[in-house]
Amino acid sequence: MAGVEGVVLEVQTRIRKQGLWLGAWVPGLVCLLLGVLLVVQFRTQGAVGRTSTATGPAPMVVLSTLVEANARLRQERAALTSQIAEYQPTSRQERLTALVEELNRLRIANGLVEIMGPGVEVHIEGPLSPLEMQDLVNELRNVGAEAIALNGERLVASSVIASSDEGLVVNGQPLTPPYVFQALGDPQNMETALTRQGGLLMLLSLAHEGQGATVTQRTRMVLPVYTRPLQFQYAQPIESKRTVSIQTR
Amino acid sequence: MGRWAPVWGRSLALILGGVCLGLLLQVQVYTPASSTVDSNYEQAQVRTAIQQLEGEQLDLKEAIAHLREQLEHHQQLAASETETLHELRDELAAQRMRAGLMALQGPGVMVSLDDSDAAALPPDTDLNPYIVHEYDLRDVVNLLWLAGAEAVAVNEERIVASTSIYCVGSTIMVNDTRLSPPYMARAIGDPATLYAVAMDPAYLRDLRRRVQQHGLKLTIDWRKEVVLPAYKGGFAFEYAQAGGP
Repeated sequence: MAGVEGVVLEVQTRIRKQGLWLGAWVPGLVCLLLGVLLVVQFRTQGAVGRTSTATGPAPMVVLSTLVEANARLRQERAALTSQIAEYQPTSRQERLTALVEELNRLRIANGLVEIMGPGVEVHIEGPLSPLEMQDLVNELRNVGAEAIALNGERLVASSVIASSDEGLVVNGQPLTPPYVFQALGDPQNMETALTRQGGLLMLLSLAHEGQGATVTQRTRMVLPVYTRPLQFQYAQPIESKRTVSIQTR
Repeated sequence: MGRWAPVWGRSLALILGGVCLGLLLQVQVYTPASSTVDSNYEQAQVRTAIQQLEGEQLDLKEAIAHLREQLEHHQQLAASETETLHELRDELAAQRMRAGLMALQGPGVMVSLDDSDAAALPPDTDLNPYIVHEYDLRDVVNLLWLAGAEAVAVNEERIVASTSIYCVGSTIMVNDTRLSPPYMARAIGDPATLYAVAMDPAYLRDLRRRVQQHGLKLTIDWRKEVVLPAYKGGFAFEYAQAGGP
């Protein structure tokens, strides 16, 4: 640009020094210069425009790509965070604890756990018939026994007192007098119910004179585990079949 | 001077032209310069933004990688726990079945008992031999267990560890629920054994005698399939607790 200014100044100086008649030259020169300047001006602006279109969009594209990508990444992070939150140890622990508690309760009911607690001990000199013994077991359940053992054998639902050639048998084990029933439960209530007038013990005492049954309250007794295996070969649960059919639907 | 007058006028035109040129040049010089400054500033801003976003992206990726690790850890833990849970559920199902909490079906026998309908009994007759007593039912249930039953029920009551069969007046109670005749004791198990034992005259002697003498009704049926209801009561342990000496 300095060059153009120089040319103009030179022309002006010549006009002054040489006093030349330049009437036709001056407007022409000015016009020429204007034209040159305008072209230069446009070119420069054009170049500026091009450079800005050449450098501008690339970073802009990068920018918008980054903004979008980061938004997606933030979504991913949020999704992962909520997924992890589902593995809350408390709810998992609670579920597990509830299952274990239920399992333990059922294992007690099924006689598979050694249990302890207060209750009564019924001591009978014997001997008694299997049916009388069975009636006694029933009586103990009736007065609220939570668990029963007879001469060290835990009694479950299927435990039957039967007679064999060698005498009485329970859970496949020989049973010889004296018979000691251990029943866990409320000691006071159980003793009262068992020794009531007209109760089974009274009837047994009448039937077998001199074989007095004694009922003793105990604060703590330990009942053994039922050890015989129980396999279901013929029984099918109906409930689980239903569950399966619901699941496959 | 007159001779120079036109020259002065033309000089004036030249001066004006020069001023115009000067202005144009000014514009020419400053325009690209100022636009360069603007775009430089803009570019710097864009660069800063890109750097910030890239920095954020790096953090996010790191966080995601960390979260994925955590999640994987949780999933692995959960997988092993699910295994434990499955084992626990299986064990629970087995215990529930054993405890009588599942309805069951299978081959077995049905033993039904009902009062005699012997009519026109003379007054002052002892009615006891003519009706089914709770001990009759108890003997039948115990016989079924003795014969190797896997599960036993009477009417809609499943026989479980805590079940007692007793009477209140003339009503038979099972699981503290009143039953009414006919009493249908069903057992699932090997039907041949169950049937043979139930038919054995060595057992249920008193019942069989009353069937003969008093018209008490006792029928024993071999069944391809009997259905036993689930026990609907609870197992409450207020005094007993797990543990030994």
